[in-house]
Amino acid sequence: MTITQSLFYFLAFVAIFCSLLVVLAKNPVHSVLYLIITFFAFTGHYILLNAQFVGIVNIIVYAGAIMVLFLFVIMLLNFNEGTETHKPNLVKFAGAITGGLVLVVLVASLQTLQQSNPVKLNNADIGLVKNLGKVLFNEFLLPFEVVSILFLSAMVGAVLLARKENN
Amino acid sequence: MTSIIIITITAIVVLYLGLYKAQKALLPVSILGLLASGATAFMAWGSELSYFNDMIVFNNYAIAFTILLVVTTILIFLLSRDYFEHISSNVAEYYAILLFALAGGVVMVSFQNLSMLFIGIEILSVSMYIMAGIKRRNIASNEAALKYFLLGAFSTGFLLFGIALVYGATGSFNIDQIAAHASENPLLFNVGLTLMLIAMAFKVGVAPLHFWTPDVYQGTPTLVTTFMSTVVKTAGFAAFLRLFTVAFGASSHVWMVTVSVMVVLTLFIGNVTAAFQSNQKRLLAYSSISHAGYMLIAILALGGASANSILIYSIAYSIASVAAFGVMILVKQQRGSDDITAFNGLAKNNPALALIMTIAMCSLAGIPLTAGFFGKFFIFGTAISAHYTWLVAIAVLMAAVGIYYYFKVIIAMYLRKGEEGNIIQVSTHYQFVLAFCALVTILLGVLPGLITNLL
Repeated sequence: MTITQSLFYFLAFVAIFCSLLVVLAKNPVHSVLYLIITFFAFTGHYILLNAQFVGIVNIIVYAGAIMVLFLFVIMLLNFNEGTETHKPNLVKFAGAITGGLVLVVLVASLQTLQQSNPVKLNNADIGLVKNLGKVLFNEFLLPFEVVSILFLSAMVGAVLLARKENN
Repeated sequence: MTSIIIITITAIVVLYLGLYKAQKALLPVSILGLLASGATAFMAWGSELSYFNDMIVFNNYAIAFTILLVVTTILIFLLSRDYFEHISSNVAEYYAILLFALAGGVVMVSFQNLSMLFIGIEILSVSMYIMAGIKRRNIASNEAALKYFLLGAFSTGFLLFGIALVYGATGSFNIDQIAAHASENPLLFNVGLTLMLIAMAFKVGVAPLHFWTPDVYQGTPTLVTTFMSTVVKTAGFAAFLRLFTVAFGASSHVWMVTVSVMVVLTLFIGNVTAAFQSNQKRLLAYSSISHAGYMLIAILALGGASANSILIYSIAYSIASVAAFGVMILVKQQRGSDDITAFNGLAKNNPALALIMTIAMCSLAGIPLTAGFFGKFFIFGTAISAHYTWLVAIAVLMAAVGIYYYFKVIIAMYLRKGEEGNIIQVSTHYQFVLAFCALVTILLGVLPGLITNLL
């Protein structure tokens, strides 16, 4: 086993183990902390795949900004172990079956996966910042620009909904 | 492309007008911008222009739906006079967000690349989450916004996961390329396809992913509901059809059965539940679910005529919905309720309003001599030519149920006694929009040839 392979298995184990703990943890704050570890494991995967930019963005945006927001919301709402709503067994059962079916289908589809021509990675450096920037500002210029409409709309809306009404 | 730019610039100009307190100029400027964008779209008719490495392609399909979206938005904006002022003083922001939403809708009808589809859907959805909650002191409006946002974000997750799997199977975001490489990794591709189907079905409100529709439609301010049930639905179906004809058309055996089950469920749930409603707004919400079921038939019966029948249906449905919601806003404003009982005796006091409401209801029900009849006629025709006779039989049966609940309000207006002398005042804008909708509905019902061979 090469170092890359053993690193991959270690990171995959951490990611799966911690995501299970996210769901199983009783205390919501613990859930968020496990989620942060999961994100760090993902970042490790991205770096193994030679995609440094995505890895760094994952840490800064997800593990940094969004998780802090999560923690704030949980603290503001003051969730405790006792406040967890009790769900009927039937709902749990139905959820388990549905989730299990999705898992089976996904695993089955991954099992038959083969490397075909269109998805073969010809350039191993494609995930580097330089190449990503080139793709973003050539091929994907329009989505990059149009997304600004989305942000503008969301920004106007956030101010609209959060501002104090003076009447 | 020019239409998107003009709409976006108009929205930004409107924001600035709001900053300088030019409240009177908001509506004229928005309408002018919309007319300009509709006109530029119309000028490009017949050409097929692709922009920025095939990110979006404006062909006749995209142009026809763009014009429909723009015209519907103009009608809704004309109804908005004095409406938003009652909610708060931030009228400019409301117009701007609706215009942004429209820009997202135009991106959705013209996309060629899945990244543009995603961004278009998100622009439209995020704007709608906000507009659903603009009545901040109204608990129903808050609930609608929160519910729509949470469930919408969940379905966006499905969409993204689906796009990622389809990309993993085919190595491309371009819908033509996707169709060309569909068989390279069939199982992964099919899972991605199914996840995208789930997301699109949620966005257009098709059963069993329709649960958000009644509460969101009822809690949202009525004018925004009008926008949701016309512009959002039309853009959603145009994108749905474009995606499934071009990218997934060749693998139709994968999703045929799923979609036909969805059609039957949608028609059944939408129509039968609507028959039990006593609130007109909630009734129209359920009726919009059932209309989604009819439009889904055209996607199921994939063929050359599908695009045209979806277009005709969308035109008929949008115009009739604007009229129905317009009358409902007037009744709600001046009689204080949107229950069906609030329409009692409307025919005596306001015969013109009652007539327009009757025309709109007949069109939604699909009675001959209205546009809605030809909408259903062409959808069923497409389905029969694709050998879905059993499905058409169910759909016709459900359309009969539809006639029952659409006539409830007509009976209330003409046969029930209301308060004498409770006459509803109708402003010139409303008169214009309602008369326009009624005329177009009748005109297309008598002369359907005007739009039948567009695409």
